[in-house]
Amino acid sequence: MMGLKNMLVMIELELRRLRHDRTEIYFRAVQPILWIAIFGPVMGSIRAIPTGGVPYTDFITPGVMIQTTTFVSIFYGLMMVWERDSGILKKLLVTPASRYSMVIGRSMASGVRAIFQALIIIPIALVIGVKFQPNPLCILLAFIIIFISSGGFAATSILVASFMKTRERFMGVGQAIIMPLFFASNALYPIQLMPPILREISLINPLSYVVDAVRGLLITGDTSGLLLDIAAIAIFDAVMFVLSSISFKRIIE
Amino acid sequence: MVYAVQVNGLVKIYDGKVRALDGVDLTVDQGISFALLGPNGAGKTTLMRILTTQLRPTAGEAHVFGLNVVREESKVRRLISYVPQEISVWTDISGYENLLIYAKIFGVPSSEREKIIDEALENMGLSEVKNELVRTYSGGMIRRLEIACAVLIRPKIMFLDEPTIGLDPAARKAVWERLKIFKKEYGVTIFFNTHYMDEADMYADEIAIINQGKIVTGGTSKELKQSLGGEVITFTLGNNAYDPRIDQEIKKLESIRSLFIEGPSLTVIVEDAEVALPSIMNILKSMDVPVEKVSIAKPTLDDVFLKYAGTRLEDKGRISEVVRVREMVRKGGRL
Repeated sequence: MMGLKNMLVMIELELRRLRHDRTEIYFRAVQPILWIAIFGPVMGSIRAIPTGGVPYTDFITPGVMIQTTTFVSIFYGLMMVWERDSGILKKLLVTPASRYSMVIGRSMASGVRAIFQALIIIPIALVIGVKFQPNPLCILLAFIIIFISSGGFAATSILVASFMKTRERFMGVGQAIIMPLFFASNALYPIQLMPPILREISLINPLSYVVDAVRGLLITGDTSGLLLDIAAIAIFDAVMFVLSSISFKRIIE
Repeated sequence: MVYAVQVNGLVKIYDGKVRALDGVDLTVDQGISFALLGPNGAGKTTLMRILTTQLRPTAGEAHVFGLNVVREESKVRRLISYVPQEISVWTDISGYENLLIYAKIFGVPSSEREKIIDEALENMGLSEVKNELVRTYSGGMIRRLEIACAVLIRPKIMFLDEPTIGLDPAARKAVWERLKIFKKEYGVTIFFNTHYMDEADMYADEIAIINQGKIVTGGTSKELKQSLGGEVITFTLGNNAYDPRIDQEIKKLESIRSLFIEGPSLTVIVEDAEVALPSIMNILKSMDVPVEKVSIAKPTLDDVFLKYAGTRLEDKGRISEVVRVREMVRKGGRL
């Protein structure tokens, strides 16, 4: 109970930060806009990628959304390294709040940021002509999935941060995680198009499941894989929460 | 009555090689202000981090209000508050919001929250800027906000790691005036690390001096100074006039308690300066050592430190480093 309350406090902290300063969200929106405004239409005009009947730009919009939210979450670990360099983490670890509630709370707080990051793309996608499923329940569920999965990615990043003691190293590792995750997923092309080895890899890539779920809910309306996707995301989150909670204390030592 | 802090044979070895604490024994009474004085790298911060349950000792035991800091760490955390040396507030939200988040983490009931936060802000003289972003605060204001976070939960003991490092004298005084009031009102024990001699002298009821991982001596400021006895004569020698034979010759005199050389100054602690001064001057003269200046004073804590640790406490470079880092954190806030 106490743990749950602390998680909510961490989410509140993130919302308060966002209220004071949102410039980061605007700047981070530039890259995904380029993907859907330029890359999407250009690649789509070749008609080389089978997208199951939806326009190519529509097909990649969920993938691009998830890519930016994953960026946000993965770089959340950087904030942990920063808070280690300042004294905030030390002070937090001396409070009665349990370590796991800190880790999960901070991870879910990054989910809040991720939701805003994903939301900002929608009006732009609409202007470009992307057609979303008109079902508000589906849209809500898609955002819940983005929120939950961002927590898992942020926990991954906290895990990495507990091994990387400097920000410079973390930056490098962060990049090295995100781009492979993105390209070895179904974000830009269906898994069937990949070479067999990459196909195997994409099966254990959590990003693929997130993209599949969100694409089904927002664009194609094909939710046949939804339960499997949710199960995969839940397992990913649980494993990452446990691992990052265990290694969290390393950050300050 | 149980001690606020009790430490027995505490050893901490980092990575199997760096011996940060080398058998520390220490007791601190409840309700006092206690200073751990020592140069950088003496083990002050390590000891404080063990007492605040952040690090586990390699050997030995430590208790806070009778609770073992390893076995009963979660109970210990309910009694203590801690202000690290580095900036420990979020600079991209307001001062009020910082306190609000902490109040919630500590589970202060929502009915009391407003009152307690306003009181803490008032106590630390921050009421007027409570809704401003912390990024815009001065160094002294940030320190007071950090202490406000620490007093918010009415701890039984507060651990402050270098609470006024890098602050100007007026800001330091302001911080301590507030702390003194808080201590008087709530009977909280204050355990602080410092390498400012005057700070320990003025604000600590008791002082322990730590050097190279060991407590070398302890007591009230008065006791420590009296333990040196007598008077301190300081000679400023002419350039490069030091000669190791000076030591031997002067030490032969009666009534010499200790003698130290630091740069161009020769410090001699004697029982009676009026008697000792002529004989020392004679020795220096006979060895052709030019003396530029002589001063006689009562012992200070600095002299106490010099005697027990063999070096003076001055360390300007390190202070400016901490100030630089704090400044960077304040401006950058968050990446």
